[in-house]
Amino acid sequence: MEILRSDNITMQFGGLTAVKDFNLTLNKGEIVALIGPNGAGKTTAFNMITGVYKPTNGKIYYKGSEITHMAPYQITKLGIARTFQNIRLFKDLSVLENVLIANHLHIKSNVFEALLRLPKYKNEDRKMMRKSLELLEIVGLADEKHEKSSSLPYGKQRRLEIARALATSPELLLLDEPAAGMNPTESEDLTKFIRQIRDDFNLTIFMIEHHMQVVMGISERIYVFDYGITIAHGSPKEIQNNQRVIEAYLGVDENA
Amino acid sequence: MKKRDYYLTAISLILLIGFIFYADNNMDAYMVRILNLCAIYTILGLSMNLINGFTGLFSLGHAGFMSVGAYVTAILTLSVNAKVQNFFLKPIAAPLSNVVWPFFPALLLGGALTALVGFLIGAPALRLKGDYLAIATLGFAEIIRVIFTNTQTITNGALGLKGIPAYTNLWWSFGIAIFTIVTMILLINSSYGRAFKAIREDEIAAESMGIDLFKHKVLSFTIGAFFAGIGGGLLGNLLGTIDPLMFRFTLTFNILLIIVLGGIGSITGTVISAFVVTIAQEALRFLDQSINLGFVVIPGVAGMRMVVFSILLMLVVLFYRHGLMGTNEFSWDKFLNVISMKKPLLKGGRK
Amino acid sequence: MIKMTLDMFLQHLTNGISLGSLYALIAIGYTMVYGILRLINFAHGDIFMMATYFTFFGVLFGGKWYIVFPITIILTALLGMLVEISAYRNLRDAPKISILISAIGASFLIENLAIVIFGGRPKAFPTIPLFTSVVHIRNISIQRLTFIIPVVTVILLLSLLFLINKTKTGMAMRAVSKDHETARLMGINVDRTISITFGIGSALAAVGGIMWGLKFPQIQPLMGVMPGLKCFIAAVIGGIGSISGAVIGGFILGIGEIMLVALLPSLTGYRDAFAFILLIAILLLKPTGIMGEKISEKV
Ligand SMILES: Nc1ncnc2c1ncn2[C@@H]1O[C@H](COP(=O)(O)OP(=O)(O)OP(=O)(O)O)[C@@H](O)[C@H]1O
Ligand SMILES: [Mg+2]
Repeated sequence: MEILRSDNITMQFGGLTAVKDFNLTLNKGEIVALIGPNGAGKTTAFNMITGVYKPTNGKIYYKGSEITHMAPYQITKLGIARTFQNIRLFKDLSVLENVLIANHLHIKSNVFEALLRLPKYKNEDRKMMRKSLELLEIVGLADEKHEKSSSLPYGKQRRLEIARALATSPELLLLDEPAAGMNPTESEDLTKFIRQIRDDFNLTIFMIEHHMQVVMGISERIYVFDYGITIAHGSPKEIQNNQRVIEAYLGVDENA
Repeated sequence: MKKRDYYLTAISLILLIGFIFYADNNMDAYMVRILNLCAIYTILGLSMNLINGFTGLFSLGHAGFMSVGAYVTAILTLSVNAKVQNFFLKPIAAPLSNVVWPFFPALLLGGALTALVGFLIGAPALRLKGDYLAIATLGFAEIIRVIFTNTQTITNGALGLKGIPAYTNLWWSFGIAIFTIVTMILLINSSYGRAFKAIREDEIAAESMGIDLFKHKVLSFTIGAFFAGIGGGLLGNLLGTIDPLMFRFTLTFNILLIIVLGGIGSITGTVISAFVVTIAQEALRFLDQSINLGFVVIPGVAGMRMVVFSILLMLVVLFYRHGLMGTNEFSWDKFLNVISMKKPLLKGGRK
Repeated sequence: MIKMTLDMFLQHLTNGISLGSLYALIAIGYTMVYGILRLINFAHGDIFMMATYFTFFGVLFGGKWYIVFPITIILTALLGMLVEISAYRNLRDAPKISILISAIGASFLIENLAIVIFGGRPKAFPTIPLFTSVVHIRNISIQRLTFIIPVVTVILLLSLLFLINKTKTGMAMRAVSKDHETARLMGINVDRTISITFGIGSALAAVGGIMWGLKFPQIQPLMGVMPGLKCFIAAVIGGIGSISGAVIGGFILGIGEIMLVALLPSLTGYRDAFAFILLIAILLLKPTGIMGEKISEKV
């Protein structure tokens, strides 16, 4: 079943076309990867899907309804969550607070109920707390929950980003280079972890990744960008053997 | 909170009430006035810190908010007679001439109308960011001032209002200051408060986590405006006189100094710094006035005090950016730790 | 509404143009500094004020205008550079809010130092007949200054555009305004370039200040506040970062203000609010101003 579709989305910055006519389909429960050399427009595609950039052209549909012109917070509320390539945690806040904040979007109590700590709010707050602690447990950060998020080592910050995204209760999760800066064992763990959260949380996952080991091991389908153009699309096998991909990408910029 | 902390907090409150009782009965008018100012600046500092420190919106419109609260409260509490005397150029507009309200409802309405103004200003202005927001809010404050200068039949224009009943006393000012502190603590530690802080830390990440930036910014701005209006109302009924010139940017500057010195994003810091700055303002008054030492008169220089405060502000920002408290808060644990840490040191010293 | 004769209209228009030219000169300083540091130099209006005092004292001590004016310009430029070094240089990588607060602190410091040194009471700016004498054309009498100001503004604007587009210093300034780090890698002395920018902006403010003093011959320590804010607004209207934008914004504001008062005298009291209303309107309708380019944050 289709969960997300984009029709010819295009993003231009002045004279530069960062993404051109991208047609994406994601089916429920899939893990799909987006790869391509540096500057190919991958993150830009994420930004269009999540509403951070408004596409210059084209339309995006989530579960059948159009989301092209929605604000990022509305899109997140519908069930699309993301992590950032250049980690964007709430640096001065604690690990726990980072995750708690991502629960806020579903709050039903208004600000007065929250101020007066009415039972309705207390109940919600307790639930948020429980869920956040669970998530921290899952990503293995329970012991660091009171630490300032910027004091965590890089790998843990990436995991915290995933926990934070999960706290919004998404159905579709976009991961922007989750394995960046990881060694082979770590990426191996990450691969398992991504599969596990997909199963446990019934997620669909769309990820950008440079580590070919991770990409090939995990994804069911792969899209390949080069200079904003989708040069290939198919199963890992097909992509590995695609001549254009090898020329544009694998031969040039293989750093995994 | 632990049981111990409840007791300690309760004891401190009782001590504070005792102190207010003592001060109210025994201290001279000048001291009482300074204490009142300290409490009022605590309210103002907290309200500005909510907007600037906790939500990260650089707003410079505080003097404008205060003027709304001050004028509404003053007009509602002025006696019919005082209104006639004040408005000798043009009489006050009809329904207002006979309205005389008790202090508290007047103050509340002052706060509520300021909140409304905050909402109306925030709705367009909060689409802007950073220094554009700063200039726009400063502009709105200036527009409010110009309006108040020109609405002769409501505000008495440039002449201002005199003979505002001196309702503000230590009970009101400290009572409301404590109420404000408690509200801020409850707000900041709620889910909404966390959303505010998220916006301060990183707007793009916050919005991607589903936080409606605009709604929360307007919310913070409106709550901040409410308390600024209350503070303005207290101030007007403390001083007894208000006029549009009082609400220039300098007033906003003073509050900004308080939150920068205390630590942008710390309730504790704001409270401490409100007292320190207010008392320092009075203590340094001699700089502006001449002092007679009996054998020689040292001439005071007008403006000297503000020179000191401007330098102070710059030094803090340049070399001690986090102020007194950074984003840290008071807790009994820390407090007791600090106190008990000293003991071993003392003992060690004696050996 | 009041009926206006052609003569009256022309008189208002020339007044508006000369006021607009003054605004433009000061606005250029804001726009240059903003372009290079992304910072509202809150102290710019106060630097402008200091220039009028430099001239005041120069003339008071018997200086001839053609000596006093250049000295004023040099001193003001140095003052602008001093402000940059002391209030902003330490904060290059600091959060924006700190830089803004430092800017506000610097502004207050200059204002209050001026009150301490010169006294709070207004002083009468010297009249220099060459500039201030009145000429009669048709039925209207106009100060020479009213014509001199726009001419000076245009000459300075053209020289500035030449400097920015055709000289090495200008190229460095453009590079630094794009990206400090890249400029540094290209071998540009970033701090020096920023200093020069402040110097030039302040020198233009000095010219503005001198002519302001001649036109409105009463000076006092807080006189820079309102023109300062208005000129920043002019810069925003024109599109901050754009020099020709600042000039256009200055003219819109100057002419708009004079015409508002001329056409709707009942709104005279709201004259100072006009600029702010215009600012808020423009920020909401076209936040980048008339000539500004949109920059979107990379995520
Ligand atoms: N906000 C923006 N304004 C202007 N240009 C942008 C913006 N965002 C991205 N670009 C440009 O679009 C192009 C694609 O960038 P993008 O970040 O999407 O690449 P990417 O595929 O994610 O690369 P990487 O592997 O390095 O992360 C780049 O040339 C980039 O400079
Ligand atoms: Mg990328």
